[in-house]
Amino acid sequence: VGLDKMIVDDVGDVTVTNDGATILKLLEVEHPAARVLVELAQLQDEEVGDGTTSVVIIAAELLKAADELVKQKIHPTSIIAGYKLACKEACRYIQNNLTISTDDLGKDCIVAAARTTMSSKVISVDSEFFGQMVVDAAMAVRVSDGKGGYKYPIKAVNILKAHGRSARESVLIDGYALNCTIASHAMKKKVIGAKIACLDFSLQKEKMKLGIQILLSDPTKLEAIRQREADITKERVQKILKAGANVVLTTGGIDDLCLKYFVEADAIAVRRCKKVDLKRIAKATGATLLTTLCNLEGEEVFEVSSLGEAAEVTQERICDDELILIKRPAARSAASIILRGPNDFYCDEMERSIHDALCVVRRVMESNSVVVGGGAVEAALSVYLENFATTLSSREQLAIAAFAESLLVIPSTLVINAARDATELVPKLRSFHHSSQVKAEHEKLKYYGLDLMEGTVRDNREAGVFEPGISKIKQLKFATEAAITILRIDDMIRLDPEQKEESHYQKARQQGML
Amino acid sequence: ASRNSRPVLIVYRFRKSRLEMANAGGAPIMVMNQSTQRESGRKAQLSNIAAAKAVADIIRTTLGPRSMLKMMLDPMGGIVMTNDGFAILREIDVSHPSAKSMIELSRTQDEEVGDGTTSVIILAGEMLHVALPFLEKVKLHPTVIVAAYRKALDDCLSTLETLARPIDCENREEMLRVVRSSLGTKFVSLFGDLMCSLALDAVQTIAVDIDDSKKKDVDIKRYARIEKIPGGELSDSKVLSGVMINKDITHASMRRTIENPRIMLLDCPLEYKKGESITNIEMLNPADWKRYLEIEEEYIEKICKDIQSFKPDVVITEKGVSDLAQHFLQQANISVLRRVRKSDNNRLARATGATIGHQPDLMHESDIGTRCGLFEVRKIGDEYWTFIENCKDPKACTIMLRGASKDVLSEIERNLHDAMNVARNVICDPRVLPGGGATELALAAALRSNSQSMHGVSLRPYQAVAAALEIIPKTLIENCGGHVIRLLTELRAKHANGKHTTWGIDGVKGRIVDMEELNIWEPFLVKSQTIKTSIESATVLLRIDDILSGVSKGKRDPAGGGGLQQQQTDPETFGDERDG
Repeated sequence: VGLDKMIVDDVGDVTVTNDGATILKLLEVEHPAARVLVELAQLQDEEVGDGTTSVVIIAAELLKAADELVKQKIHPTSIIAGYKLACKEACRYIQNNLTISTDDLGKDCIVAAARTTMSSKVISVDSEFFGQMVVDAAMAVRVSDGKGGYKYPIKAVNILKAHGRSARESVLIDGYALNCTIASHAMKKKVIGAKIACLDFSLQKEKMKLGIQILLSDPTKLEAIRQREADITKERVQKILKAGANVVLTTGGIDDLCLKYFVEADAIAVRRCKKVDLKRIAKATGATLLTTLCNLEGEEVFEVSSLGEAAEVTQERICDDELILIKRPAARSAASIILRGPNDFYCDEMERSIHDALCVVRRVMESNSVVVGGGAVEAALSVYLENFATTLSSREQLAIAAFAESLLVIPSTLVINAARDATELVPKLRSFHHSSQVKAEHEKLKYYGLDLMEGTVRDNREAGVFEPGISKIKQLKFATEAAITILRIDDMIRLDPEQKEESHYQKARQQGML
Repeated sequence: ASRNSRPVLIVYRFRKSRLEMANAGGAPIMVMNQSTQRESGRKAQLSNIAAAKAVADIIRTTLGPRSMLKMMLDPMGGIVMTNDGFAILREIDVSHPSAKSMIELSRTQDEEVGDGTTSVIILAGEMLHVALPFLEKVKLHPTVIVAAYRKALDDCLSTLETLARPIDCENREEMLRVVRSSLGTKFVSLFGDLMCSLALDAVQTIAVDIDDSKKKDVDIKRYARIEKIPGGELSDSKVLSGVMINKDITHASMRRTIENPRIMLLDCPLEYKKGESITNIEMLNPADWKRYLEIEEEYIEKICKDIQSFKPDVVITEKGVSDLAQHFLQQANISVLRRVRKSDNNRLARATGATIGHQPDLMHESDIGTRCGLFEVRKIGDEYWTFIENCKDPKACTIMLRGASKDVLSEIERNLHDAMNVARNVICDPRVLPGGGATELALAAALRSNSQSMHGVSLRPYQAVAAALEIIPKTLIENCGGHVIRLLTELRAKHANGKHTTWGIDGVKGRIVDMEELNIWEPFLVKSQTIKTSIESATVLLRIDDILSGVSKGKRDPAGGGGLQQQQTDPETFGDERDG
């Protein structure tokens, strides 16, 4: 139930976001130690894609606790050792005791995990809708890694934004959406049973490359050169069309003179597509992205095999814009999400939220395990580490206890942000987890977490609040490491840029002597 | 170094004092960039709401049939006179980020449905305004309010479905009625039904069926062009069954009036074109030069021959036509227009049934357009206009607007645009809702009755949405000088039992009427989009608890370096340094 930040840059561009990494990236933090934390958030964003806010909060809390300990004259190295040990123990405990396999929970838990990440975002109210959409999208881009497992290249999910309509009217397209328009209005707007040619060269009049000269002695031959220039392209187009292509996508331009051939052949031609898009389309449809028509013998041919196939290619009007949709490609399923919303900020923020959710879904599906969210893991770890600390008789004991204490910052921040009483709820949560760890018959209690809407403690496993386990482990590891990095510093030397010595002439001028 | 270093020092002090301000009561270490300003917590929420309300207040008076125009001077000294919400807000330069986001809303509305830009802003402003007491007094959590708003939105949309009634697109009377209610609030309403029929004719002309479904595709931007010609009377305006272009024939002795012409469209120049590759010509023999010139002439003669073989009466090209080609074509009794715009050519192609050709020798008989009834060049005012009229079943058209002055014409054009969009929306989704605030009141009543069965904290924000919706009839009454409280309570009573859902405000006379009698209907798409956009945008702004401004995108100079930097780039100093 977090709130958003609105960030305005000096040009006046506005970003509204709830994503920790995005906020920190835009903030331009100058203090060097603070920069470490900002980079930490970005690291988490790249590695896991979610939990960027939590990682910064934990790291800050760890440092705060360490500061207290240092004040009590404990040497930083002991604290560092304690933190390291605590982190290792915590990760082990998560892996052994707190993770739940998705097989036990069924398919719904993946959607539930997606919903959990979205619950703090702007689309929280529609999390049901978007959760399903994100899972479908991730399933669509799934590829086998050859060892019986699957990979989910979430970058292959193409997210497009268009303002207008309402968030609920965002759509998932089984196929690829291309933000281009057809080259000529005379072309058809829909092709069923499309054969797609992806080209990485222009279909323009052939131009001589630099440094090539043709010498003519007969002026009448000049006309022939001119003619030939046009013909080369024409032949190319005809070769492509003869191979059966009825959709031609190119990264380059298409001359007006070629358009007519396409129009006559009832084909769609699209110019100036992005190369990234074309690569993905080529993959999805089974086409080959051709950089030239030449084959090994140096002759220009267009192989039928380099054509890709899709069930349908249409141009659709969305908002004031037109999109080309390539639906149901033959070789592989692809997914595109078109987000709608009242204005651009909203769409941007939706995109970030969807991205986070996609990352989470990928992590859950790849690792097949989840942990319970809503502060449950942190509370459990805190209780566990506290007990663990008492078993140690070395100097690390205090540091581990401090680590355990710091972890409670997550549940208490959650509670405070939801405008509930942290002093009441957090101890309640801890007591649940304590009894789960002490008494075997209360084993079930370890899935208890916070219910922030109602302000109570409940079984979050039943309620379907899940997070990928890997995200929690990475959070702890990154936060500990960042804290350690900063703890090790005992001196800061700042190098100001050297003041340039002004020339004597300038000095004299300034002093008014000239 | 005293003279120049002093201002630097002052700058530094100023920065420092701001630093302390931003950080009052906080940690002594400055972490963020010093020029960053921050507003957080309740203050941010309140300022967001205030900004949104301010934007809404600017355009409140432009709602309804008794609305007023706004006159704006742009920095270049030009005047914009309008009561179109989007056109007004577009001209205003606001700095508050939330206000900007509000303005974006009207753009969204304009692009998506083209009408209702004023209502969306007023509604969104009010949605935020009614949330104020919850934040300030009751101290509800924004997410609770947001959730309640979302629920209200869903209920509104489902209620809209039940309120909507279908309309027959083929029935001209009914369609005109819908368009008329949109135009009723505009400047052109003074001219009665003329504009309505203009808009309707234009849209019906360019509507094409999408091949397999029943839906229709209407591309106003591309295929309906509005040409404004100052002078004449507004009643001279009309929709041409074809296209007009601001061009004259190239040669004075070509025919100016042709009935049932054969039209050929080209996008290539009728001149000698050099090749793409760089060509250098070195001549050793004077005869070669002569030959070279002949080749150029022969080429032109050839393409003109090719054109003649199709026996067109008119040739229209996007590129230039050389004098020689003009001569040949004039001999062949062909009228030529050159340098028309690509968009005009596309419209011509749709209107006449021609295909735009690139090479005359590769054209076919089928590429010639024959659907046109009359080609004529007329002089209007000071300019020559080419009319391609009386087309059979044209799929593109031009709307010719006449009027007193350019500013008036621009406003009429905007109004016409709205009207055409309304007509398009109805064609795309043939359902309408009662206007005059009746729909909003019906929704409010529905929300209120729903709220009876609700419980919990979200109840009051849910009811607040109902109150916010009433801003539309309220503004309508205000703008026509009616008695707000009396009329609104009367209407509420009418709507309360859920039977009189079509009762609303007569914005002209300021009394309550049944919309069935007054015949004010609005397209379903516009209304639903207005409500969706306004509530969703309110939810974004409500969720914000922190505004950080002054964050630069690129790298900023280190503080205090400004003075020095400037000195270095001073060209005079630069030169001196180099010399000495």
